[in-house]
Amino acid sequence: MNEWMRKILESKRQTRSRLAALPFSEKVKILERLRDRSLLIASSDLRRSFSPRPR
Amino acid sequence: MKDTISVINQMKADGVVGKYAIGGAVGATFYLEPFATIDIGIFVAFKQTPDSLLVSLSPVYDYLTARGYTLEGEYIVVEGWQVQFLPPGNPLEEEALEQAIETEIDGVEIWVMTAEHLVAIALKLGRPKDYSRILMFIESGKLDPGKLDSIFQRHQLVGKWEAFGDRFLREL
Repeated sequence: MNEWMRKILESKRQTRSRLAALPFSEKVKILERLRDRSLLIASSDLRRSFSPRPR
Repeated sequence: MKDTISVINQMKADGVVGKYAIGGAVGATFYLEPFATIDIGIFVAFKQTPDSLLVSLSPVYDYLTARGYTLEGEYIVVEGWQVQFLPPGNPLEEEALEQAIETEIDGVEIWVMTAEHLVAIALKLGRPKDYSRILMFIESGKLDPGKLDSIFQRHQLVGKWEAFGDRFLREL
């Protein structure tokens, strides 16, 4: 693993730790935003048009 | 979600259900970073009807639909969140419900499974997303190894845990 990759992974680990340390109420607010985004993605025409055909 | 939990708390106060515990991704979010999820999995102690050994979800659905909440497949939508009510299906889930810890969201009380029980249930389920979550719990350092070990012993999960370790933890 090169230094650049190591820095990326360390930055990612720090962000995850910072988010995990937030109060539960704050994390729930983020959870709600993630939920809204997931529902939006799931309902988009673009996603539907690229859905794999059942075999 | 605060409003959803308030409704569940009121349902509990009205005697429709007993103790409850949040599991799944929302439960894990108490300990880890937030996950993208569209539903709340709630393990609930249901009241058994006197003439049946089966646990009935009807009182919960009757209570919530009478208040205008709607069914969507296996979910009931409560204040914008899809909620799945789950009766504990085995001794591990019963214990997880019993030992859930109390916390709060902006002043609203909520019960969440312990980190060790969430890991044990994930290990038992064994889907790719469960294994991924277990690795996140391990990395977080939030697990009590002694508590985890005793849960694995009590619920015959030692073999599965060792197999998990062989597969995913060799390089850690």
